[in-house]
Amino acid sequence: MLADLAQNTLDGLGAGASYAVLALGFTLVFGVLRLANLAYGPAIMLGAYAATWVSLHAPVPLLALAAITVAGSVAAGAYVERVCFAPHRRARAGSGPAGAAAMAAMVASFAVWMQLEEAATLALPRHLYAFPPLTTGPPLSLGPLALRMETPIGLGVAAAVCAALWWMLYRARFGLAVRAVIERPAAAGLSGIDVSRVSAAAFAVASSVGGVGGFLVAATHGQVTPHLGMWTTLKGMLAMMIGGLGSLPGAVAGGMVLGVLESHSQWYLGPQARDLTAYLLLFALLAWRSRGLARRG
Amino acid sequence: MAPLLEVRDLVTAYGTIEALKGVSLTVDKGSITCLLGPNGAGKTTLMFSITGILTPRRGSIRLAGADITGRSPSAVVGRGIALVPENRLVFPGMTVRDNLYAGAYQRRDRAGIEADVDRMLARFPVLQARVGQEAGTLSGGEQQMLAVARALMSRPTLLLMDEPSLGLAPLVVAEIFRIIAELNREGVSIFLVEQNAHLALQVAHHFYLMVQGLVTFSGDPGSLAEDEVIRRAYLGSA
Repeated sequence: MLADLAQNTLDGLGAGASYAVLALGFTLVFGVLRLANLAYGPAIMLGAYAATWVSLHAPVPLLALAAITVAGSVAAGAYVERVCFAPHRRARAGSGPAGAAAMAAMVASFAVWMQLEEAATLALPRHLYAFPPLTTGPPLSLGPLALRMETPIGLGVAAAVCAALWWMLYRARFGLAVRAVIERPAAAGLSGIDVSRVSAAAFAVASSVGGVGGFLVAATHGQVTPHLGMWTTLKGMLAMMIGGLGSLPGAVAGGMVLGVLESHSQWYLGPQARDLTAYLLLFALLAWRSRGLARRG
Repeated sequence: MAPLLEVRDLVTAYGTIEALKGVSLTVDKGSITCLLGPNGAGKTTLMFSITGILTPRRGSIRLAGADITGRSPSAVVGRGIALVPENRLVFPGMTVRDNLYAGAYQRRDRAGIEADVDRMLARFPVLQARVGQEAGTLSGGEQQMLAVARALMSRPTLLLMDEPSLGLAPLVVAEIFRIIAELNREGVSIFLVEQNAHLALQVAHHFYLMVQGLVTFSGDPGSLAEDEVIRRAYLGSA
């Protein structure tokens, strides 16, 4: 009984690690850059599909597949940025209603979501493809518990990505420019910051974080489907909301909470309850605690 | 004195409405030049056109002879122009220190930047006490000091200031104008937009009147009685 609880928690942390990386990416896009980018998840899906396509044609080492997933996400993200967000940046900096520009960008990103999904299904038309697994060995025995190797790997990656992002945003020169552009694009330009370049670079960073998360998800599940974009959006957004929009450590914590809750509900209520739990949690959060459980920081 | 900034026949429009209808003026090297005029005259539009936030439709802007018309804001800063914008526009969620670093974004001389931060904190003691605080928590006067300090961090040869006295208490305004004169003595050329004609004419070497997108008068502070300046600039008769 107690062993079940512990084992479920441990498994939940494993799934939670990939949610955490996704949540870091979503926090960067929605919380920090404040872009309503609906094509963020689908760009991650496209990266995972690029890696899948390569793995179907040639045996490639796992790290190379991770790199391809990241590169694919960054490329798709750059396309999203150019088509959806760059055209409206001038409206934000100069004259014109900012709300209308943000709305136009969001609707455009929805259209690109459809494009990316179509592109993926045209290249790989089957509903489901196998993705090389992260680890193949047996789980590690810790007394009565079994530790799947995905768990420590995922936790390590999540911690490393969180630390790297925090350092970049709050300690590096580039992060100073990113924060300035977010707060006041016009004043950032007047301070000598190239607003377009910094925005595009920040977008690329967010896309690469998404690529890392997408790779973790695909490799832990051992499969990809065209719905991966929708799936990452739901999980990433939910974990972001739990963590409190805008907080990097909160995003990691949110991913863990979501993973552990899902794992328990799957064990006690059955596999069909897993996603239902997630949706109920999202609903409850939006209704009662729309600013998340953690405080901003 | 040689002209540092030369604006020639500048036209800038918002859609079909021309806010600048062919503005020509110069700022001499080492001078304080002042631009007076009522609300809606196009003063801020001129500042935004010079700094690249707005792209002029026609005309030219030259800095020390080099054409900078239509350059991006960051490129204009790189050429040595910094704007202290109307309503300060500090970065409210960033610390005072990070605001100063942002102003020095294009510089790579770490030691020089640190030395300049120290110099700004010495020049503006109110900032020294708040250096780790978020800029949004500062008073209006303190934010104005920060906006000036941030602009100076790029080491500009020409400092543009758009309504630095707007909404500030008289004592703070006096302090701002004391600093303007001091900076000018140190060699910074200043192009100042002001509503407060009385104060502006006390520091300016040269001034322009602008009404409805056109320069209507140009002269030295002694060349026109102050009440006449005010009448022409704000009561609408040319």
